[in-house]
Amino acid sequence: MEETTSLNQNGGQMGPQTTQTAANNKQNEEPQQKNHYSIPGILHFIQHEWARFELERSQWEVDRAELQARIAFLQGERKGQENLKNDLVRRIKMLEYALKQERAKFHKLKYGTELQQGDMKPPVFDESSDSQLDQDQSYVAVTNSTWKQGRQLLRQYLQEIGYTDRIVDVRSTRVRALLGLNNNNADQEENLNGGPVNGNESNKRVSESQGRRTPAKKSQPNSLTEAMMLDTEAAVIANLSFLSNTDVDMDDDEDMSDDGDLDPNVEMEDEVKQGKKEGEDVDALALEVFNELNRLSETEKKQEIKNVVPPEWDKITSQGPKRALGFGDEDNIDATLGLGELAQLTVNNDAENTYDLASSKESFRKTWNAKYTLRSHFDGVRALAFHPTEPVLITASEDHTLKLWNLQKTVPAKKSASLDVEPLYTFRSHTSPVLSLAISGTGEHCYSGDLDGVISCWNVPNSNIDPYDLFEPDVLNINLCGHSDAVWCLSVLYSKQLLVSSSADGTVKLWSPHSKVQLLNTFSSEQDGIPSSVDFVRDEPNRVVASFASSNCVIFDTETSKPVLRLESTSQDGVNLNAKKIYKIVCHPTLPLTITAHEDRHIRFWDNNSGKMVHSMVAHLDAVTSLAVDPNGLYLLSGSHDCSIRLWHLDNKTCVQEITAHRKKFDESILDVAFHPSRPYIASAGADGLAKVFV
Amino acid sequence: MKMADGTTILRRNRPGTKGKDFCRWPDEPFEEMDSTLAVQQYIQQLIRKDPANIELILRIPENHDEGVWKYEHLRQFCMELNGLAVRLQGECHPETCSQMTATEQWIFLCAAHKTPKECPAIDYTRHTLDGAACLLNSNKYFPSRVSIRESSVSKLGSVCRRVYRIFSHAYFHHRQIFDEFENETFLCKRFTQFVTKYNLMFKDNLIVPILDEDAAPGESEA
Repeated sequence: MEETTSLNQNGGQMGPQTTQTAANNKQNEEPQQKNHYSIPGILHFIQHEWARFELERSQWEVDRAELQARIAFLQGERKGQENLKNDLVRRIKMLEYALKQERAKFHKLKYGTELQQGDMKPPVFDESSDSQLDQDQSYVAVTNSTWKQGRQLLRQYLQEIGYTDRIVDVRSTRVRALLGLNNNNADQEENLNGGPVNGNESNKRVSESQGRRTPAKKSQPNSLTEAMMLDTEAAVIANLSFLSNTDVDMDDDEDMSDDGDLDPNVEMEDEVKQGKKEGEDVDALALEVFNELNRLSETEKKQEIKNVVPPEWDKITSQGPKRALGFGDEDNIDATLGLGELAQLTVNNDAENTYDLASSKESFRKTWNAKYTLRSHFDGVRALAFHPTEPVLITASEDHTLKLWNLQKTVPAKKSASLDVEPLYTFRSHTSPVLSLAISGTGEHCYSGDLDGVISCWNVPNSNIDPYDLFEPDVLNINLCGHSDAVWCLSVLYSKQLLVSSSADGTVKLWSPHSKVQLLNTFSSEQDGIPSSVDFVRDEPNRVVASFASSNCVIFDTETSKPVLRLESTSQDGVNLNAKKIYKIVCHPTLPLTITAHEDRHIRFWDNNSGKMVHSMVAHLDAVTSLAVDPNGLYLLSGSHDCSIRLWHLDNKTCVQEITAHRKKFDESILDVAFHPSRPYIASAGADGLAKVFV
Repeated sequence: MKMADGTTILRRNRPGTKGKDFCRWPDEPFEEMDSTLAVQQYIQQLIRKDPANIELILRIPENHDEGVWKYEHLRQFCMELNGLAVRLQGECHPETCSQMTATEQWIFLCAAHKTPKECPAIDYTRHTLDGAACLLNSNKYFPSRVSIRESSVSKLGSVCRRVYRIFSHAYFHHRQIFDEFENETFLCKRFTQFVTKYNLMFKDNLIVPILDEDAAPGESEA
């Protein structure tokens, strides 16, 4: 029996009973041959049938195994998605909690009372769906060693999973393709084509699935398999890299090199990983968030904020490792824990463009990013001013021209997030560098002062004109003549349509540009020399304040033209007054506060009532050249020859943000800064001929 | 730059600087200029010192990239031509100069528009200068001021051709303005020598007879 079976299986040979088996061979002829039963014939028939059934059974077994593998695979996939979802929900809750805390803190600071919010409890997370992962309790990835353990586990899973070989094959083919040695063998090709999923996805899924599958047979040498496993792991980690910290990647590499029997292919692992990372469509925002969290967490550790976390958080810590693979590194947990304290960290966090993610809605912690670069001037931009309401600005340059820009008419620039804007109109009439600029409260007029002492009044063209329209001579309204030397500063008083100018001829003049008598008054201070900058005292509109070469400031009454108050620098600190030269003077829009920018890197604050200096701070690395106060009086913007602009909180005089904005021409860099009076724009003008607008 | 010889020289125009002191600081040797705008600084420094010394102004520093040199000079020309445009604004009206002409031979069409247009001379002037400003500041063609692609250098020739017509129009139609301006700035002469020296225009197109008068040596050098 056994012999014949084997014979049958081996080739369907009939053995010695040749005469009747020829008929039996064809099963559909059986009924016609019923008359010729014989013991050997029956025996043979039974044997034949049995063999057939065996064959079919084994086929079904194979099918079943495949289907089971498929089921396990899909389950694993679902599991992975759930883990991901749970984690994201957890993060959302934490962010919500952080936001609530932030609001409470803000409320407390602002009104001095506790804010009554719905529930201020830190979110507690339902970890039940993770319980299936409990089997790897040992996987408490808090240290490097446990991380390695985790990797070991991951490797085991990958080996257990029936699809391992397929992935390995897919990956090896990819590696080969990458290496350009496509001397593929047929098996791999088949596997590749037969694979229901592409390698990228399958890696991720497999890493999270835990089905018990019998490993299929493999023809490749063991070391190669091992290498491929490592490779796959690397890819898995790359896929999940947004959840893990950069240290982890480093660990990876260490881990890799720890493994003795590596195939040369593994050397390509890094490249593959890189490719993966690029190809992987991980949400960029998420990536940023996690990177930021990681960065924050490092600071956190130093501050040992862990000690103050509520008990619920500890629970999370203990549950943390049970999350999906790749989540388990300490930093991430720390980062999530630290969210509640985010505010304290971010206040002092200069020049970080992404730190305000937790509070992007709250304007008081807005981060400014360069958006528009205005390039069209041939030489340094000396001054700029925003339209009072429209997203329009005008720049004045040493190339003798002014240019009008509409930020809504942009030309997208290549390979950068910033947009290029082309000027709509070029104002030509000055025959020397334009030094100062101001726009009227209606936005209909602008005033520019040049090196020869001419102040030009312009009718601002419509902000939607064609840049190559016909010349309209009436754009130039009038010239205000009176100064005999360079006009360095202009300022307007919106409410009364008044203009004040300071000139190197030693005078400050008050103008009413659109009335019959244009020159209203002239102020000067013999003892202080040449004025450098001037502004209206905003809370007392009948006064102007001017800074002088003597480093003192004088407040004048506009009606009597007499000095009312002097803001005097004391020379007690022994600093050469020349070094304290004032570049720019501005008044706070609502408070009796005057702010001055000095050559000696300082910004100084003065009380307009007492004339005393109330605060002085080193603000930049080089001379402070320009100042602007935001329309609400909360922030101060300063520009400096150190190429940077800085945003200051006026309450606590802390720097909120620093932006490097312009390049140097000779020893000058930033020449002016401005806030838009009604829209969220700030701008800087530079000696490099550019103006930049930040949003 | 600073502390060159033990004392700090800060080349800055502080607010309150008188017009006559504007940019009046000790010259800085080109080799010591380390900013990205060094060429512009150097050219402006030379012009400020003596606008008549064209030969020196146009002499390229040793081992310097010629593309950048030409580019920065052209920027400077366009910038200074603004002065001529301002003067023309006062005299050259669309009623009197309804077309951009120099000699009667050609009418120049304004290339600033989608389809070239027969703009009045003053508009041609403005549009050409505005267009040149846009092109020379274009992030696409001139993203850097320290190195310039060969393909972008070829754009300089057409800019030269167009802005030269402003000189020629002024010369043939507003001679008084032209002479006043030229006496002050020597711009047309410098421009003519510049384009000749660097082969940016055909000699036939240089119709303003400026070199023949007294600058023959300059031309022969070039």
